[in-house]
Amino acid sequence: MNHKSTSYKIFLFANYLFMAAVFIVCIFPYFHTLAKALNDGNDTMRGGITFYPRVFTMQNFQVLLADTSIYRAFFISVLRVVIGTVLGVAVQFAAGYALSHQNLPGRRKLMLFIIIPSFIAGGTIPTYLLYVHSGLINNFWVYILPQLMSYYNVMVIRSYIESSVPSSLNDAAAIDGAHELTIMCRIIFPLCLPVVATVSLWVAVTHWNNWTTTMYYITKESLFTLQYKLMQVVKESERLQALLQAAQASGEDVNVSVKSTPESLVSAQVIITTIPIIIVYPFLQKYFVKGVTLGAVKS
Amino acid sequence: MKTKPIAAKAGVQQKSVASRFVTAIKKYYVLYLLLAPALLLTLYFSYLPMPGIIVAFMDYDVFDGFASPWVGFENFKQIFTLPMFTKSMAHTLLLSALNLLIVQPAPLVFALLLNEIHANKFKRVLQTVSYLPHFLSWIAVIGMANAIFSTYGTINDIRVALFGEGTERIRFLASQGFFVPNVLILTVWKSIGWASIIYLASITGIDPQLYEAAYVDGANRFKQCIHITIPSVLPTAIMIFIIQIGQIFHDNFDLVYGLQNPYIDFETVSTVVYKEGISAGNYSVATALGLFQGLVSFILVRSVNAFSRKVNDVALW
Repeated sequence: MNHKSTSYKIFLFANYLFMAAVFIVCIFPYFHTLAKALNDGNDTMRGGITFYPRVFTMQNFQVLLADTSIYRAFFISVLRVVIGTVLGVAVQFAAGYALSHQNLPGRRKLMLFIIIPSFIAGGTIPTYLLYVHSGLINNFWVYILPQLMSYYNVMVIRSYIESSVPSSLNDAAAIDGAHELTIMCRIIFPLCLPVVATVSLWVAVTHWNNWTTTMYYITKESLFTLQYKLMQVVKESERLQALLQAAQASGEDVNVSVKSTPESLVSAQVIITTIPIIIVYPFLQKYFVKGVTLGAVKS
Repeated sequence: MKTKPIAAKAGVQQKSVASRFVTAIKKYYVLYLLLAPALLLTLYFSYLPMPGIIVAFMDYDVFDGFASPWVGFENFKQIFTLPMFTKSMAHTLLLSALNLLIVQPAPLVFALLLNEIHANKFKRVLQTVSYLPHFLSWIAVIGMANAIFSTYGTINDIRVALFGEGTERIRFLASQGFFVPNVLILTVWKSIGWASIIYLASITGIDPQLYEAAYVDGANRFKQCIHITIPSVLPTAIMIFIIQIGQIFHDNFDLVYGLQNPYIDFETVSTVVYKEGISAGNYSVATALGLFQGLVSFILVRSVNAFSRKVNDVALW
C-alpha cells in the first residue's frame, strides 16, 4: 500500500494540480458574480473583473431594491418555503411512519400505489388542464399542494425508521397503552430528527429554487417568486446587452442613460436570490449530504 | 408482532374479504389515517391527470373540454412530420447522447481521482464546494454563467490575455454554435460533485484487505484501481446508466429554457411542450408529444433493466 513508484508520484502531482484547478473552477463563479454585483456597471464593461470589485458601488443593489415588487416576491418565496416545508414534511413523515409498520395490511400495495406515478405520469398538459379545472391557476396554493407528496422522501423516512428505530420500542409503548399518535410524536419523531432535518432541507431548497411552477401556472405579478424574477432578468439580459453594445458602437453616450448594466443587475439579482442558501449551506452541510446515503436504501 | 398465532391467522382466512377489511381498518385505523393525506394527494395530483392523455387523440378545445371531437392519430402524425417537433426530438436525443457520453462518466472519474487525494482537509473542502451548486437553482447557475461567459467576462478576458488585444470578444451565450457546449459545461459544473457522492460511498465500502492482498501480489496503485476499485463501483455505475437510459427522451427544461434567448434557435421536447401547449394553447399536439415521450421512456427503462439483469446481474427491480 505504501509503495510509491515514480510514475505514481508523477500521477499524484498531476492529480493535485488538476484538483486545485477544479477547486478554482468550483469557487470562482461565486466570487466573480459577487465582484460584478458590487462593481460599477460601466467599469465592468472594460473587462478584467476577477475575484473582487474594481470600482466598488452599491448602485446595482440599490437599483434592484428600489423596485418594491422584489420585496413582495421575497415574501411569496419565504411563504412558499415555510408553508410548503412544514406541511410537506408532516404529510411525508406521517406516511413514512405508517408504512414502516411491517404488519400493516395492504402495505405493499399501498407502496406500489405511491410509486407507480414515478414510472407513468399524465404529462405536462394533462396536469395543466387538471390545475385549470381545480382553480389552481393564479392561486398561491399551486405552489404548495401538488408538491406536498414525494414518494422518494416517504421511502427515505420509512427506511430510516425501519433500520434505525428498534421496533421493540413501538411494541413496548403499545403494551404500556400508549396511543399510536403518542408513540409517533413522542417516541419515534425525536429519534428521526436526523432524517427529518435532511428531508426538510431538501423540501425547503426545492421550494426556494423552483421557478417553473410560476412560469407554468401564474400570470399574476403579485404571486411571482424571487427565482421567477431572476429568470426574467436573466432571459432579458442577452438582448439588453446587445442593445447596449450597439448603442456604444454607434457612439451614443450610454454613461448617462445607463448607470447599471444588465450584466451587473443580473449578478446582483443572482446574489440576492442565492444568498440564503449559501449562508445556511456551510452550517447545515452535514444534513444536506447525509440524505444521499439515506436514500441509497432500496425499497 | 410479526408472528401471529397460527390459529388466529387461520380463523381470519375463513372470514370474508369484507370482514377482514373491517378488522384491519378497526385495528390500524390510526395508521391508515396518517397515510390518507399522502394517498389522496397522490391520487389527485398524480393519477387524476393520467386519463387526460386522451386529449392527445382529440382536437381539444377549451370550451368543449373533454367533449371535443376525436381525431384519432392526427396529432401523432403532426409530431412526426412537422419539423418543429421532429427537430425538438432530435435535439433532445442529441443532448441525452452527450449526457451519457460526457456528463455521466465525469463524476465517476472525479470520484476515482478524488480517492487518490490524501490531503484530507483539502479533500473535504473540495467536496464541500463541489456539492454546493446542487442546491442552487438552474437559473441562478445560468445567471452566474452570464457573468463569466459575457462579452466582458472571464472567458473573453482570458482569450484577450492569451491572443492579444485585437481578439474579438465572443458572446458565448448568444452564439448558436456554443449552445450545446454551454449546456454540457453547466450540467457538469452543477452536478459533478453531488453525483460523485454515490461513487465515493461505494469506494469507501471496499474491504481494505483486497488492496493489501493485491499489494502483496505486486499490483501497483494503477492496477489496484483497475482490478479492485473500478469493478467495485461498476454495479453502481450501471444502475445510474440504466436510470439515464430511461431518461434519454427527457431533457432539462430549466437549463434549456433558461439558456434560450433571441439569438438561439434550439428547441427540445420539453420546451416545445411548454411553448406549444401552455403558451400557445395547442393542448392536443403537446399532449401527444408528451405521451410519446413518456411511452418511449417507459419501454426503454424496462428493456434496459431486463437486458442488464440478464447480462450483468444488476437491475433496478
